[in-house]
Amino acid sequence: MPDDADPPFDLAGCLDRVRQRDQAAARELVDHLYPMVIRIVRSHLPRRVPEEDLAQEVFMKMFTRLAQFQGAVPFPHWVSRIAVTTCIDHLRAQKRRPEFRWADLSENEADVLDAVMTNENDVPANDAMAAHELVHKLLGQLKPDDQLVVRLLDLEQKTIAEIAALTGWNQSLIKVRAFRARRKLQKLFQELQRKEQSTS
Amino acid sequence: MNRNTDDPRHPWMRLNSAARTVRDTRDTAAPYGFATRLAALALGSERRMVSLLERLSFRALGVACLLAVASVAVNYQALLAVGSGGLDEFETTPVSDAVTVVLDLAD
Repeated sequence: MPDDADPPFDLAGCLDRVRQRDQAAARELVDHLYPMVIRIVRSHLPRRVPEEDLAQEVFMKMFTRLAQFQGAVPFPHWVSRIAVTTCIDHLRAQKRRPEFRWADLSENEADVLDAVMTNENDVPANDAMAAHELVHKLLGQLKPDDQLVVRLLDLEQKTIAEIAALTGWNQSLIKVRAFRARRKLQKLFQELQRKEQSTS
Repeated sequence: MNRNTDDPRHPWMRLNSAARTVRDTRDTAAPYGFATRLAALALGSERRMVSLLERLSFRALGVACLLAVASVAVNYQALLAVGSGGLDEFETTPVSDAVTVVLDLAD
């Protein structure tokens, strides 16, 4: 092993020191977990909520509830569940969802959507960013809980068991939400196709 | 159009598979000062609350002691009488008690 390699992070020791109110340990813990938390926050970020504010809320909850952590699951899993539930709370708080309209799409996004609805070809690699934006806009049409389930299932390709561990919801509920969300997506695609046919 | 959204050929699934190829290249390190601010907020605020509670508790204890001393001072004569056995059972019974008055009348 090279001498300049970083030693592995001593999470258990760090947590002990945080419990003794050591601010340096708290800083180390935040720095260690920030990449994981910010990835979750970015992938489920509600509109008009700055990612740093949401990350701060997640960490504040983590410190407040630290006494409740019993070690039944690894600490990063416990924190990631706090991050997911914090995001879902913010999504739920946003009552209004923006309407999905052709007119609001960029030229590239409209072309990609038109292409996937009219042919069976894969989206070209250079249109991946437009597809990414489209997926997020379409997900924005779903209810917050359904949105979370479909995002985790289809975009992040997590299993039902993984989603259950992450959200605390039971597997049947996740399946029901996924079914309901996909039905809504199908309806949305049909409406879009109808509108497109009526304009062309 | 394919009606089954589980089907990999469905437009939704094709959009997703393209979207997954987009790599998030944004920095994932904590912004400068973020951890320091958070540690101070999380651990500092709790300590402030504890000290506030401590101060309130001491104040409440002081008020309770004062009230105890005042009540002893006000009832000093009665306490002395009880201590020396000077007051009998009937004298300690309040005269304003309605039941006592009715019983007295009945006698």
